[in-house]
Amino acid sequence: MSDAFNLIVDGKPVAATAGETVLQAARRAGIEIPTLCTDERLAPAGACRACLVEVNGQRRLQPSCAWQAAPGQEIKTHASSPRVKRHQDTLVSMYMADHKLDGEGLPAETPNGNDLRAWALKCETLALPRVEAPRVARPNDVNPYIKYSPELCILCGRCTRYCDEVEGVNAITLTNRGSRTTIGTAGMRGLLETSCELCGGCVDTCPTGAMIEKKAPALNRAAVNKVRTTCNYCGVGCQMDLNVEGGRLVKVTSPEPGTTHNDGNLCIKGRFAYDFVHHKERLTRPLVRGADGKLHEASWEHALKAAAEGLLAVKKRHGAANIGFISSSRCTGEENFLMGKLARAVFGINNVHQCAAT
Amino acid sequence: MLGAAAMTNSIPEIRDVDLMFVIGSNTTEAHPIIGMELKRARRRGAKLIVADPRRIWLADHADVFLQLRPGTDVWLVNAMAQCVVQAGLVDDRFIREHTEGWEALRAHLAKFDLAQAEKITGVPAGAIREAALLYARTRKAGIYYTLGITEHTHGTDNVFALANLVLMTGHLGLRSAGMNPLRGQNNVQGATDAGASPIYYSGYQPVLDAAVQEKFSKAWGAAMPATQGKNLNVMMHGIETGEMKAMYIMGEDILLSEPDANVLEDGLKKLEFLVCQDIFLNLTTRYANVVFPGAAFAEKEGVFTNTDRRVQRVRKAVEPPGEARADWQILCDFARACGYPMPRYGSPADIYDEMAALSPRFAGISHKRLDATPRGLQWPCTGPDHPGTEFLHKDGVAHGKGKFQVVDFRPSSELPDADYPLVLTTGRVLYHYNAATQTRRDAGTTAKVPENFVEVHPDDAARLGVKDGEHVRVVSRRGGVKAKLWLSGRVQKGCVWMPLHFAEEAANKLTVSAGDAITGTAEYKVCAVSLVPAKTAAK
Repeated sequence: MSDAFNLIVDGKPVAATAGETVLQAARRAGIEIPTLCTDERLAPAGACRACLVEVNGQRRLQPSCAWQAAPGQEIKTHASSPRVKRHQDTLVSMYMADHKLDGEGLPAETPNGNDLRAWALKCETLALPRVEAPRVARPNDVNPYIKYSPELCILCGRCTRYCDEVEGVNAITLTNRGSRTTIGTAGMRGLLETSCELCGGCVDTCPTGAMIEKKAPALNRAAVNKVRTTCNYCGVGCQMDLNVEGGRLVKVTSPEPGTTHNDGNLCIKGRFAYDFVHHKERLTRPLVRGADGKLHEASWEHALKAAAEGLLAVKKRHGAANIGFISSSRCTGEENFLMGKLARAVFGINNVHQCAAT
Repeated sequence: MLGAAAMTNSIPEIRDVDLMFVIGSNTTEAHPIIGMELKRARRRGAKLIVADPRRIWLADHADVFLQLRPGTDVWLVNAMAQCVVQAGLVDDRFIREHTEGWEALRAHLAKFDLAQAEKITGVPAGAIREAALLYARTRKAGIYYTLGITEHTHGTDNVFALANLVLMTGHLGLRSAGMNPLRGQNNVQGATDAGASPIYYSGYQPVLDAAVQEKFSKAWGAAMPATQGKNLNVMMHGIETGEMKAMYIMGEDILLSEPDANVLEDGLKKLEFLVCQDIFLNLTTRYANVVFPGAAFAEKEGVFTNTDRRVQRVRKAVEPPGEARADWQILCDFARACGYPMPRYGSPADIYDEMAALSPRFAGISHKRLDATPRGLQWPCTGPDHPGTEFLHKDGVAHGKGKFQVVDFRPSSELPDADYPLVLTTGRVLYHYNAATQTRRDAGTTAKVPENFVEVHPDDAARLGVKDGEHVRVVSRRGGVKAKLWLSGRVQKGCVWMPLHFAEEAANKLTVSAGDAITGTAEYKVCAVSLVPAKTAAK
């Protein structure tokens, strides 16, 4: 490609193409640059300053997330620049000065992880005086899905930019000024009273666990097994990860942006509406209508026999032409294939259609 | 008519589209993640045309919004086509090389003039023309539509009219350009793909094709039926008339989802035998002789095929509750109970292999391959090395030539009159899913939309003396349901709108069962109703 070129990062050539940022090229080459406010779905904001690098010829450090790569450009990351390293150590310490810390003085762990903690563990942090930022949450927000904890928020704006740039809903915004800056809504209403569609994209993109799922407030991440599957609601077929702990579905998360066709996005139904799976009203045993006209629990053997005899008797009386099989657009492809096979091979009739045909 | 029952493009192609024409699709509510992509495309500079009787959320993002009267789609689209002809923007070369029947259509379109179109559709002539020219002049133009187009007695005509527009401009067979029906359910594409159809075996192999019959007969060790089967609509009418004697229903609450529910309910009582297979009890199971407890998607293995023909894996994460079983196992067990030697499949991977071996369109797909392909495989995928198919009709129209269809405007089957003066359209909200057996069991979705409602234009409400938030009865010739009144600037004067999600106040007690002549699809989008304050109705 004619627009392919090399830049030099920490003394080594790194391939890039026109229009790429230094961060994108460096990441692809496996070079580590810390970021907090970066999400590939969003326009670069350069807000968190974690990704600053030295650019040859530039007096000030520049955000690699927004800086366009150029042929032959010399870049230094913290690996080769003491100045960048010093900047990072200071910056992470400043973030920690008003962040919720654990007993060891590190940024607190959350059910969704905390990128600030992971980064702090790699830095030589300074002991800065504690700053008590008077940031407010929305204590009266009764929405059952999304919880915001301002003491974990670094104001990177990923959630608010996601809500604007990706979801196009603009329900949340950075509000107030200075140390009071927080994630707010119009009139600080609860999310149910705003344009919020409860898609949970804010939870997904939040790097520090300031936005989390209310349904899983104390999840032990180490005990969770993730199972990749396809959403069971609409026809978009979003890929999602079922988080399972102790045999129960406890949370749904979205795959990394850029890895599946839903690009890390889910809607309210896919991300949150899974309570039906373990609902107490689920059918757990076969039911057979008794002589009293009521449905009674039965063994599989009995129910299968009753059903087979029932349908075969109708076939015997009237032929198969007036027996119908309704398959389901909600079931799997294999199950629909078997329903066709059941109608055709077992009953000798093509009266099979799926529920969504009309 | 393009000859393939699927989206011609893929969802990721929306990233490169230059114009989106969304008609009869409330995308941000019914297909939220595609809606999100449309909004993202609009934000980066693609043009957006929205045509809908309702001012849907997406209309707020549109460059041109065409708020047509319900059921007048053929007039709107034909008038757009006539604008394209008059502006000299037809693609003569594409028409010559890839289509048939152009002259007849061209002559026919002459009667769809703009002034008349404005009168019938209610859309200003200038907006129709603007939309037509925008569409015709943009090469990478995608049409996105769904049930607002198909759920009419003239649904097929609507689709034909759109296909005409696509063919005459040649906006096909190109990345991001084409015609895209957005499918509603997670596996509605996959269900028909797999042969849950009265006219096709898996992979769209006709049931009347003798060679196909023989192939399946040999594979399954049984004689295959020689005639086509009854489609869903015919079966539903057959239940109502007593012609159908027994039904096996998996994963659908037909009483909630099918039109004209009262009559259907009487019919269900007459069935000699009914087997239901589901994860919850529902309205239909009240009439079942046997109910089998099935498994939810998180409890079984398999595949779903999404709206862009993408086959993707479904994986088991948790066990089904109690003695509930995966639905594929139940079907196998039932077939064996009937005396048929169903093979002992080790897992759905084996079932898929059986289908793939019998279906050339899916021959290259297997669970093993899907497990190594995080983005899934899009059919056609005809062999193990075939990469799948991102968009259709790359080399012209897939099945011979694209046929122009002459379509005339036919009014909907039931129009408003003095007794039932309002047009009711039914639809979906973001927060619930179809019969809502799943979403109404979740706190947040229920908090957003807790009960049935009806959107009413303020002028109509004022005339009837009903207020926002008041409960009203919505009554048609077939029944009545209760709903909370939402004063709404989204609906037109003379139109009301109601979601279909609420079993206790099922909108389908109101709808007409009249169906499209070709597909049988019922006219869920237009019927005549009246509104009565709930207090009056109770007397």
